[in-house]
Amino acid sequence: MAIRYSWMSPRLALIPAMVITAVAFVGAIGWTIYISFTKSRRFPNYDIYWENFWRQYKRLFNDPNWETSINNLIFMTIGSALAILFGFILAVLVNKEKTGEGVFRTIYLYPLAVSFIVAGIVWRWMFNPVLGIENFLIELGFENASFNWLAHKDTAMWGVIIAIVWHGMGFYLALMLAGLKSINDEIWNAAKLDGISPWKFYTEIVIPMLKFTFLTCAILLSLGVVKTYDIVLAMTGGGPGTSSWTPAYFVVNAYATRGNMGYASSAAFMMLLITFAIFLPLVLLTRWQTKRKEREAV
Amino acid sequence: MANIDISEREFKQYPKKKKKIKGSSIITFIFLAMIALAVLVPLYVIIVTSFKTLDQITLGRIFDLPTTWTFEGWNKAWSEVCSGMTCNGVKAGFFTSIKILIPSIAISVGLASITGYALALWKIKWAGSFLFVLFICAFVPFQVIMIPLVLITAKLGIYGTFWAVAIVHGVLSMPFLTLIFRNFYKDIPPELINAALMDSGSFWRIFGEIVLPMSGNIIIVVLILVITGVWNDFLIGLTFGGFGAQPMTVILANTVITGTGAVRYNVDMAAALLTALPPLIVYFALGKFFVQGISAGAIKG
Amino acid sequence: MPEIRFKDIVKQYGYVTVLEDLNLKVSDGEFLVLLGPSGCGKTTLLNMLAGLVEVTAGEITIGGKDVTDLDPKDRGLAMVFQSYALYPTKTVEGNLKFGLAAQKLPKAEVMERVNWAADLLQIQPLMKRKPAELSGGQRQRVAIGRALVKNVEVFLFDEPLSNLDAKLRTEMRLEIKKLHNELQKTIVYVTHDQVEAMTMATSIAIMNQGVIQQFGSPDDVYENPANLFVAKFIGAPPMNIIAATIAIKGKKILATHAASGVSMDISKYDFTHKPADGAKVYVGMRPEHFAIGSDITGKEAASFDLPVLYAEKPGSDGNAYLNSGDEQIAVRIESAMVKDLQGADARLKIAFPHDKFSVFDAQTESRI
Repeated sequence: MAIRYSWMSPRLALIPAMVITAVAFVGAIGWTIYISFTKSRRFPNYDIYWENFWRQYKRLFNDPNWETSINNLIFMTIGSALAILFGFILAVLVNKEKTGEGVFRTIYLYPLAVSFIVAGIVWRWMFNPVLGIENFLIELGFENASFNWLAHKDTAMWGVIIAIVWHGMGFYLALMLAGLKSINDEIWNAAKLDGISPWKFYTEIVIPMLKFTFLTCAILLSLGVVKTYDIVLAMTGGGPGTSSWTPAYFVVNAYATRGNMGYASSAAFMMLLITFAIFLPLVLLTRWQTKRKEREAV
Repeated sequence: MANIDISEREFKQYPKKKKKIKGSSIITFIFLAMIALAVLVPLYVIIVTSFKTLDQITLGRIFDLPTTWTFEGWNKAWSEVCSGMTCNGVKAGFFTSIKILIPSIAISVGLASITGYALALWKIKWAGSFLFVLFICAFVPFQVIMIPLVLITAKLGIYGTFWAVAIVHGVLSMPFLTLIFRNFYKDIPPELINAALMDSGSFWRIFGEIVLPMSGNIIIVVLILVITGVWNDFLIGLTFGGFGAQPMTVILANTVITGTGAVRYNVDMAAALLTALPPLIVYFALGKFFVQGISAGAIKG
Repeated sequence: MPEIRFKDIVKQYGYVTVLEDLNLKVSDGEFLVLLGPSGCGKTTLLNMLAGLVEVTAGEITIGGKDVTDLDPKDRGLAMVFQSYALYPTKTVEGNLKFGLAAQKLPKAEVMERVNWAADLLQIQPLMKRKPAELSGGQRQRVAIGRALVKNVEVFLFDEPLSNLDAKLRTEMRLEIKKLHNELQKTIVYVTHDQVEAMTMATSIAIMNQGVIQQFGSPDDVYENPANLFVAKFIGAPPMNIIAATIAIKGKKILATHAASGVSMDISKYDFTHKPADGAKVYVGMRPEHFAIGSDITGKEAASFDLPVLYAEKPGSDGNAYLNSGDEQIAVRIESAMVKDLQGADARLKIAFPHDKFSVFDAQTESRI
């Protein structure tokens, strides 16, 4: 009887979350897609632009700034992957050399507690050609040192990537460290007794065992890059020119600066598609893993 | 051959073995220390610059310590710098951020813990599907739903107030935090809940008397995520705060990035440091939970 | 060839001394079981032998060679771990081969050894599978196989059967014993399960609180426990221990149990040193040595007539637990009797023979 009494309560408790999901996520996504096909500009206009249905998307794909954004997305994903690589290497070393593990981890991870805006401001300051690191290097005697990366189209993205790697490395280190620690101690001992070289042990045993962790990191990183906005704004303001735009920057710019809701919505929808494309492998893999676990349990 | 308890055994000092410290171990340590220093460089730079006089800064030498330590930059940053037309320093943003933070915490923790509890411990047939939807929602970029949310808050008449910012934070973090709570509650032994069900079938009483008292750790983890997340957010504050409710990051960005007039680097750095300080304090005080939060966040699904 | 010696071994963790001045010798071809409750230091001892844990002081030699500071891989031993520690990313075959990778053997030799071990353990059909696709018992075999292919003289086992169910455990017990008989290699085996120790070992070292309480053959530790701890640890149900006071009456030595008033004639007990009159002792009696009911001849050293607390039948034999006043006395009975003793006021007459006592000093708890 008691159980029946509570049939309603849990369902009632879920209503707020369901309303939010339905309105703020599912509904809003649909709304955004809908707007992208309407005549909306600065203010919403719910008449669908039947005469030129794909108008915003055609514009989008012909917009060199969108192309730049997509190129930067790919470039940044590859560049920021350094954060995963460094994170893994540092995790291995920290895990091996137990001395000072806590201190190192605390230091490596603190940038994550700093906002992208602050991180961007600090790095912009360090990239300052007259007063920053470049000047410091020249005074040290490196006459040709050039650290004024943010001022040049070709190097601005590298500057942003350095800041992103600095900001996120500790995060991947923490994930990798958790992964390494989840490996049974006795396997390390078995390898010690077998006299297996560290290189062989890591490449043939540890890295394959952590492949799921690596994949998770890669996907989280890509999703983070798609959303990158603050740090670009703080470091380069999208420049020089429009050379460091990202999809997220593009959307905000289209909405807030150019004041075109329809256009911003079409780009936002593309962001969603990109997110899903990155995300799908993770979902499939999670499903596959749970299935495998179930099989093992039988 | 008496059985003395190990802990009561007398401690005898044995000569320390000449521990062969391996060369590779020293190299590793030095390498790790160097990376740690490199990671600390930006923090060092921001701190020393904020205490320098403007005269010293214009000499270059970014890594030098201040010749004279001055709080001038800090004072100006706190109460004088201009954001747009108003020149009240980042102070105004600080209080706005706090005003945003408190309802955000209440909304997101309250909503997520109850939703997570209902989904984890109560037999609801469609819980799995709903979780899957939440899982996807947790990854939807904010820009994708930004415009409709602006329209909704404008309709509700709260656009441009700190309430709008707080509510949007609560809404946006709900899926992710729910998953964290749900994953935590899922590990509560079902026997415990079954026993509670026999004693009192009430959903709310079990939550209040059994589940909530067990949630101390996870609530701290979530609090850290929410506090750092809300405090460090820029775009939501910018979009929903209008002119009336600009959080600290927005004021900072207005001052430093789009600010006009002579650039005062010491003031800029002090303003940035002031903005970064609250989450940094939380991080250094509760780092252990911070790491837990990261693991909890990543190993979901 | 490889006799293993532990000489004055000390292990400290911080300010806690886990092992102190421990000495132990394992002869070639021996099956030594380190037996003790958890936290007694047996696994630490094994890990020190393997080189996985450093010793604080003392010396370990294998075959006369000092290995105290040698790397694990250079000690010439193989180990089977509690969780099997199979490399999850490798197939069964890969696991067997991977352990040999560091030895740079010719391919043919590797294949030969792998096949030999696979045949011996009957894991040939599993060679292409990953550890995750094996049952617990199969993983156990692979883990043993991985140790066997290394072709070493000393094998270490760290509670290898504790993750198996009861039936498999019995099976693997026999299997490991059989392997030992066939290969005649030295084995050091850690367990907290006395049945494993009693059935497999050629010698047992019983440990508690970091001290070896007794070292001897299984029969020896069972029949002549060196102290109270060993007496209580070995046997199920364990040895009955009752507190008694010595009374010397001429040539007779009597031990009187205060609670029941029964006097036990322990004159024929083989004392190492005779107790004084009035000395406090503990008298130990194994449950299966009691004579019961009509088997009592009247010539026994002690007889009791006690109320039955309860009787049980865990297997082919039954056990009865009697109330002696202060201690329970467990008695092995025939299973047919169990029913008769389950009544509320059942009593049982039992008697104990002259030659089966164990006597311990009440102060030192050692055998006298």
